[in-house]
Amino acid sequence: MEYANILQDLLKRDEYLIVGKKVARTDALDKVLGRALFTADYVPKGTMVVKVVRSLQPHALIRKIDYKEALKIPGVIRVITASDIPGENQIGYALPDQPFLNDAKVHYVGDPLALVCASDEYSASEAVDAIKVEYNALPSHLTVDSALASDAIPIHDGGNIAVKTRIRKGDVAKGFKESTVEVEETYETPYQEHMYLETEAAYAIPEGSDKVTVIGTMQSPFLVREKVAKILGWSLSQVRIIQALTGGAFGKKDDMGPLVCAEAALAAVLVGKPAARIYDRDESVAYTPKRFPARFRYRSGADSEGKLKAIEVEITLECGAYANRSPFWLWRQTAHAAGPYYVPNAAIDGKAVYTNKVYGGSFRGFGDLAMQFAAESQMDRLAEKINIDPIEFRLKNILKTGLTTTCDQLLDHSVGIEECLRRVAEASNWSKYVPCKEGSRVRGLGVGCAYHGISTSRGTPDWSACSLILNQDGTFTYRTGICELGQGSPIGHAKIVSEIVGAPLDFIHVELPDTSSTPDAKPTHGSRGLMLGGTAAADAALKLRDNMLKVAAEMLECREDEVELKGGEAFERGTPSNKISFSELAEELYARGISPASYGFYASPKRYFDPETGLGVNYSVYTFAASVAEVEVDLETGETTVLKVWPAMDVGKAIDPLMIEGQIEGAVSQGIGFALMENLILEDGVVLNPFFKDYIIPSALDTPEIAKPILVEKPYKHSAFGAKGVGEPAIISIVPAIVNAIHNATGIRFNTLPITAERLYDAIRRSRQ
Amino acid sequence: MKPLPSFLIHRPRTVNEALKMLSELEKAKPIAGGTDLLPLLRDRVVEAKNLIDISLIPELRGIKEGRNEIRIGAATKIKDVEKSRIIFEKAPVLCDAASSIGSPQIRNLGTIGGNICNASPAADSAPSLLVLDAYAEVVSSKGSREIPVKEVFKGPKRNSLRPDELLISIKFPEPFDTSTMSFQKLGRRRGYTIAQVNVAVLLEFDGPVCCDAKISVGAAASTPIRIYEAEERLWNKRLTEEIIEDASTQCMRAVDPIDDVRASAEYRREMSHVLVRRCLMEAWNKARRLM
Repeated sequence: MEYANILQDLLKRDEYLIVGKKVARTDALDKVLGRALFTADYVPKGTMVVKVVRSLQPHALIRKIDYKEALKIPGVIRVITASDIPGENQIGYALPDQPFLNDAKVHYVGDPLALVCASDEYSASEAVDAIKVEYNALPSHLTVDSALASDAIPIHDGGNIAVKTRIRKGDVAKGFKESTVEVEETYETPYQEHMYLETEAAYAIPEGSDKVTVIGTMQSPFLVREKVAKILGWSLSQVRIIQALTGGAFGKKDDMGPLVCAEAALAAVLVGKPAARIYDRDESVAYTPKRFPARFRYRSGADSEGKLKAIEVEITLECGAYANRSPFWLWRQTAHAAGPYYVPNAAIDGKAVYTNKVYGGSFRGFGDLAMQFAAESQMDRLAEKINIDPIEFRLKNILKTGLTTTCDQLLDHSVGIEECLRRVAEASNWSKYVPCKEGSRVRGLGVGCAYHGISTSRGTPDWSACSLILNQDGTFTYRTGICELGQGSPIGHAKIVSEIVGAPLDFIHVELPDTSSTPDAKPTHGSRGLMLGGTAAADAALKLRDNMLKVAAEMLECREDEVELKGGEAFERGTPSNKISFSELAEELYARGISPASYGFYASPKRYFDPETGLGVNYSVYTFAASVAEVEVDLETGETTVLKVWPAMDVGKAIDPLMIEGQIEGAVSQGIGFALMENLILEDGVVLNPFFKDYIIPSALDTPEIAKPILVEKPYKHSAFGAKGVGEPAIISIVPAIVNAIHNATGIRFNTLPITAERLYDAIRRSRQ
Repeated sequence: MKPLPSFLIHRPRTVNEALKMLSELEKAKPIAGGTDLLPLLRDRVVEAKNLIDISLIPELRGIKEGRNEIRIGAATKIKDVEKSRIIFEKAPVLCDAASSIGSPQIRNLGTIGGNICNASPAADSAPSLLVLDAYAEVVSSKGSREIPVKEVFKGPKRNSLRPDELLISIKFPEPFDTSTMSFQKLGRRRGYTIAQVNVAVLLEFDGPVCCDAKISVGAAASTPIRIYEAEERLWNKRLTEEIIEDASTQCMRAVDPIDDVRASAEYRREMSHVLVRRCLMEAWNKARRLM
């Protein structure tokens, strides 16, 4: 079904009631007033506390974990080690390389060894200190080069390369031969920590002898259920997972949801008491997944006309201690290596490498942020070499309907990048801009383009489900496994339902995901929450609407196609006074035995790919974005101030422009953090700045003026109203825009992030010598 | 992260009561806003069994203009210093420094006395107090003494007060109406940041001649420092950009910064040069507008 069009035809409305309009979120007031409940709010005082004993060594064999003394501490209830795990001691996401509790070997400083269960924080903390671990230290690999050396000790069986990827499109040698200019550079991007306000938390309650309920922070309740059941050795139906409102996630809670919930659940089940597991800030920063660091060797060629002819890219991704999401991350980088441009010839090789450091994981932008920083730097460099305006150069190569991606995927619709780029150029007055200097301050303008395949890649089946119930009073209960993480996807679903069934938004109550009653919607990641989950919502709403129309037509004594559903009422389109309320209609459905509930299901169109060449249909659709940034650099201190950002995004269809603006504004701030200041400092594998005090993220005062986002709407035909995901694409173009603007202002180009004031100051000084 | 260790909290209503508690109770420490002390207690850097909350003692609160002297009670909130009309009019350099400390939430809790007694080399109020020639009124049950604020700083996170002593107030002579001042701070971001370097200057002019100059640099040595050798270069001169550059260069030689996660010693050294120059230029420009 082509949801983008059928809704318009079916609903027969000149204008949508709620879709496309800015609406105050139904959950906003409770959150602003501090009344919304997050995981830690559910934990009663006096609940058993769970803490994790962690490795202090980056790489070592475990000789002995001695916890006799810890058990003598008053208040300590139990210490759990690997041998106590009733199920499978394995929590790896893509590869089975990650024990839940280590008993043979430690792979980084922070590797979990044991769980301490105690009556309070004090005795738990004392017990953690009292547990003695004896190690046989191994040489550690703290850089990818060290891990790749021929004499390197394997961190996991099978060597230090976790996974490889490749793309071969066209003939690269021929492409470079046809090129008149060539640029080859190496780029490096660092770790980035998510720094969400709410740290990882879970509260587990055992029920009887063979059931457990866990309330926690997460992005994928059904993945959490699967992992918890696996560790307990139980069936899925013995485990009930409830996602509490989650205070920021940015991808990491997709990785940490299973871990934190399993820690609480295992303790609760083995001890037979409710258990609370709440991460400290330093634990969250130092030991849990980060944005994967990466290195890109990038060679590009273009001809004298300014046409890209070939790219050759070598990606070295640092996994850290475990592979975790690296195969998917690396694949995304491989597939998006060219940026949103047409390149006839491409050779891209990637490898993900283990090191003995904190491991990488999901993070907004998922590889594309770093990859397209490199690609967009290359585009600016090529433009400079050809002596052509950077936007003009991009426009000559930009992806359009009818062109193919690096993976040779034909884009047959929903390609709005050219319009995004033209409109940010116009809004920022790009062609008239002159970089200026005042005192020690110089200003410059930069551009960045981005694209991001929505949801999962290649052949992975992708679907979403939900349920919708019309209650007897005319209100609706909506259930989706897509999580509210602050981004508001479930409210987007509610708007879609509201539009289709004609109910006011506050008639639709979105339940918290609960694996015992909520249909599996697959994870809230890959910017799929609204696009996939919302289309399932549309399916459920359309089915329920059919039943509502059928009964309403009989009650109103008119034809079904004359019935309008609007404002919580059903009425005859030509005679609006002939009407019934939804509560009357609902009662009638129940009375007549016509189902007042529906199950929505949506599956993405099939994708396929050839693992040998990397070619195929990788993502069902792409979201495109372009940004222009103006910066001011103080040449005496090296400080960069982002003055203004002009963002544009092809969102397919804006279900709620206000929520998209929210995503873009947050992305500008997070992008500034990655470009200019966020810097996790490690020494011998130990994180030295695990608190807000020294892990610097932008403050409100560092946030620039953000022009009203330009929303381009090139509908995706297979999603409800044509909407595409926006959460991740919002951040990707921000970073290169800033980096390119710094170059425009100072003439200095950075291949390594972050561009802190001190690094920029050093570079300015060097450039003058 | 370990949980905060347990302690008893006492809330005396008079200075004498507080002093008695400080000298008699086991492992006693004064506390006001607690914004520095609580993290130190949590991290076991400081140990205390009894915390004496001095924030309810009336004479420790508020800003008063005496005869040629301004007195700030030690437990006066940073926010109150920032918003004070007296400070804004008489010592704007302290106003600017106060408004750069932490976040609004920190400024609503933290106190001026705490910013000094915590003895961080990066304390944002310190350079301003040093150029104002401020001194600290310190009392114990044995008596009272007055010492320059500079001497409260003994080393990083170490003050020179004895355990039974309490900082009561900070006083400084009211600057002349013709004095001009400037405060500059460099951090890793714009808001809510710990200084990589902070600088305050105060200049006085006799007609076109600079008759007194005070320069203080923070976060560039183990304590905030005054740089007398640079100040001397400005005395009794008609200022020029060259003279200011010369004094700023002198400051760069005088500082003795460290490398840490916030900045390298080298960067701090170079930035003390830049910030001193900017402060001197700003104060000089203000003076020229008055002339």
